[in-house]
Amino acid sequence: MPEAPVAIQRPQRWDVPLDTSMSDDDVDRLLSIEPFASIDPEKFPPSTPLRGILKNDCRLVRFGDGDLIVREGDYGSSAFLILTGSVRVTLESLPPETLGRKRRQRKGIFAALAQLWTNPNLPEVRAYGEGGQDEALGEREAGEGERRVFLQDVPGILNRYQTVELKAGEMFGELAAMARTPRTATIFAQGEAELLEIRWQGLRDLRKRTEDLRNYTDRLYRERSLKVHLRETPLLEGLSDEAIEAVADATVFDTYGNFDWQTTFKSAKKQSHAQRLAAEPVIAEEGHYPNDLVLVRSGFARLSRRHGNGHRTIAYLGKGQTYGMAELAHNWRHPEKQAPLQNSVRAVGYVDVLRIPTQIVEKYILPTLSASQLPPVIENTAPADEPETAGGNGDIDDGTIEFLVENRFINGTATMMIDVDRCTRCDDCVRACASAHDNNPKFIRHGPVYGHHMVANACMHCVDPVCMIGCPTGAIHRDETTGNVVINDSTCIGCATCANSCPYHNIRMVEIRDTRGRFIRDEASGLPINKATKCDLCIDQLGGPACQRACPHDALRRVDMKDHETLGRWLNR
Amino acid sequence: MMRFAVRRSRNLIIATVVGLVLILWLSLQDVSLQRSAYTSGWLLIGMCFFLAAYNLRKKLTFIPLGASASWLQWHIYVGLLSIVVFICHAIHKADAGFGWPNGALESLLALLYVLVAGSGLFGLFITRVIPGRLTVRGEEVIFERIGAFRRRVRDEAAALVVQSVAEADVTTIADYYTNRLAIFFERPRNFWRHLIQSAGPRHQYLRELSDLDRYLSDVERPIAAKLTTLVEVKDDLDYQYALQFTLKTWLFAHIGMTYGLLLLAVLHAVLAYAFAGGVA
Repeated sequence: MPEAPVAIQRPQRWDVPLDTSMSDDDVDRLLSIEPFASIDPEKFPPSTPLRGILKNDCRLVRFGDGDLIVREGDYGSSAFLILTGSVRVTLESLPPETLGRKRRQRKGIFAALAQLWTNPNLPEVRAYGEGGQDEALGEREAGEGERRVFLQDVPGILNRYQTVELKAGEMFGELAAMARTPRTATIFAQGEAELLEIRWQGLRDLRKRTEDLRNYTDRLYRERSLKVHLRETPLLEGLSDEAIEAVADATVFDTYGNFDWQTTFKSAKKQSHAQRLAAEPVIAEEGHYPNDLVLVRSGFARLSRRHGNGHRTIAYLGKGQTYGMAELAHNWRHPEKQAPLQNSVRAVGYVDVLRIPTQIVEKYILPTLSASQLPPVIENTAPADEPETAGGNGDIDDGTIEFLVENRFINGTATMMIDVDRCTRCDDCVRACASAHDNNPKFIRHGPVYGHHMVANACMHCVDPVCMIGCPTGAIHRDETTGNVVINDSTCIGCATCANSCPYHNIRMVEIRDTRGRFIRDEASGLPINKATKCDLCIDQLGGPACQRACPHDALRRVDMKDHETLGRWLNR
Repeated sequence: MMRFAVRRSRNLIIATVVGLVLILWLSLQDVSLQRSAYTSGWLLIGMCFFLAAYNLRKKLTFIPLGASASWLQWHIYVGLLSIVVFICHAIHKADAGFGWPNGALESLLALLYVLVAGSGLFGLFITRVIPGRLTVRGEEVIFERIGAFRRRVRDEAAALVVQSVAEADVTTIADYYTNRLAIFFERPRNFWRHLIQSAGPRHQYLRELSDLDRYLSDVERPIAAKLTTLVEVKDDLDYQYALQFTLKTWLFAHIGMTYGLLLLAVLHAVLAYAFAGGVA
């Protein structure tokens, strides 16, 4: 007799609140102050009431004088509302050292050569005593295992750098949280301050139900980023300032999918292709009338076409790419023979899009395009069963595109791809990596294989670096000059937040030793001190990534997944 | 990004032209009664040192000395050209035609050159052929981890055998395991057969397990099926081991002999000048 199934309560959105210590009294207090006091709770559905959002998607955080709240360049998924006290926003960039980062300099020829005899023989050796925070920074306990990094010399910072004060009632960080863009400024507490941290899910719902908040964030985006984004779009290059203004006014923002896609990615990989596809939110569907031109602002989208009883992925779209232009251009040129959307487009993980309505495209954009810029006429206006190489995916075959999209490797800007039909498994790449990093290889020559191409376990330096979200000290960050995602070893506290967040298992936690080979342990607990390590693309070495340069057989290449043409050529050498 | 076929054709054409020019140049020296042996000797020793420098480049990965892949291309084609120069220098004499060098040192040196060049050509062949074979069979396993995987497979197989005895109370599977499979699971097997792509031993084991089926009860059959899977996994591991081992070890022979060749070549040059009698 089969065993009875185990019954559990269906998992709910707020099973894991942002902070379990948020009490009803805290929520009552928040509801009595602006902006929540003037929000109508009736506008929220019973499944996501305003009280629930405040209790589960928010937390109260206290900061001391000089505590860093957000750093310029960091990624974060929360916005902050100042409840009491004030904070300072820096209008100029602070030096990397002040933010707990390291100014990377390429080694000179002699320093590079010296690695021959200075590299330690033991793994993960650190010169004990050289670590720790920079002198400009301090670190202190903030209760419940949290640590805060603070600026030691707040008056000095205020004297040397331009800052502005934000006071109680003001909000910051909402654009970076909603659009998954790097923080544009460093913000620190001025004296004691109490802030309400709102995670993006809560912010999204508040924005949806609260017109003022929505208008506020939309206005901020329109003022700060939209026109720049539109100007950077190749199709809109020929537009006058007035036309850009008109396009910007008519543009609508939409977000699809889940910002925290990395949390469900690993479990979703066990599902069938059809199940995964069904779970991806549809942005626009094949066969429908093209109502607008879709511009991908951030994130990724899958372009697919019906094939038999399933969908065939024919391309992927990333930041700056558009969808629907071919159909809009066709319909504009041939109003008598309207073409529906030829493909479907779905959010992979999450995607932010801008929608420019058809009439605006026809009025302002299409007339400015030259014949060569206009997409070709669609011959067969009924959606066909034949795939086309839309989206400029070069010569990449369907199977490879499917593999790259399914595994989200499209996120990489320096994905390590190995042609295993040429790789002799000599491990010259691993040895070169180790030589360039104190004898510690920063990747594993192993990973998923499709056909004869492997994506190795090496940091891909993602477009959407989810590993950077939640680093308490800012140790993992994008390098200012190269854009590489790097870890400052001296400020890494070994919390493993980044390693746990990386969906690709490309960050490893290692136990460190001193120069005599003894494991370094925490004085209080006796537990080993861990550090996060990963590929830094040989940022301080001469000549770029050692792995690629060391491969004798042209089998290994660091590939930018946005560059479909180079990828296609490399795959088909 | 140049296609491999285009690059190969281009490099082969250049190497052929350079090779013909070298032959013509050395022949002209002979015709004009100059000692081409000194020219070809210096060329050859220079080429050997250049070829050996590739190993140094591999050690100095953190200095921008050009991509290893470019070095390998030079290594291959200069290596091929060195064969032409070697023949001109040591095998073909203008006055005596083709023949093996007659001095003891020269013979040893020529033999070492042939071994180094031969191992290089062998390496070129296997590095182009084996990777593709590794891709199509068995799970991709890092060489250093094969031993651990093999032990795990062996332990699983042994546990299945114990399970079969405990559950079926007969020793049919256990006897077969002891007689045939224990040694198979113990260490890498059929090295040479794997190298020549022979699946004979694998089919033998699978046939024997299939034959065993008629003596098994319903309780034992699922266990035998799992054992069959483990045999396939182990055979794939052996295949990966044999091919990866070959890929890793040929280089040791190639490099090891190169050092001997360089030493003897320098000695040969010194002696050639010492006993040149003022001809040079």
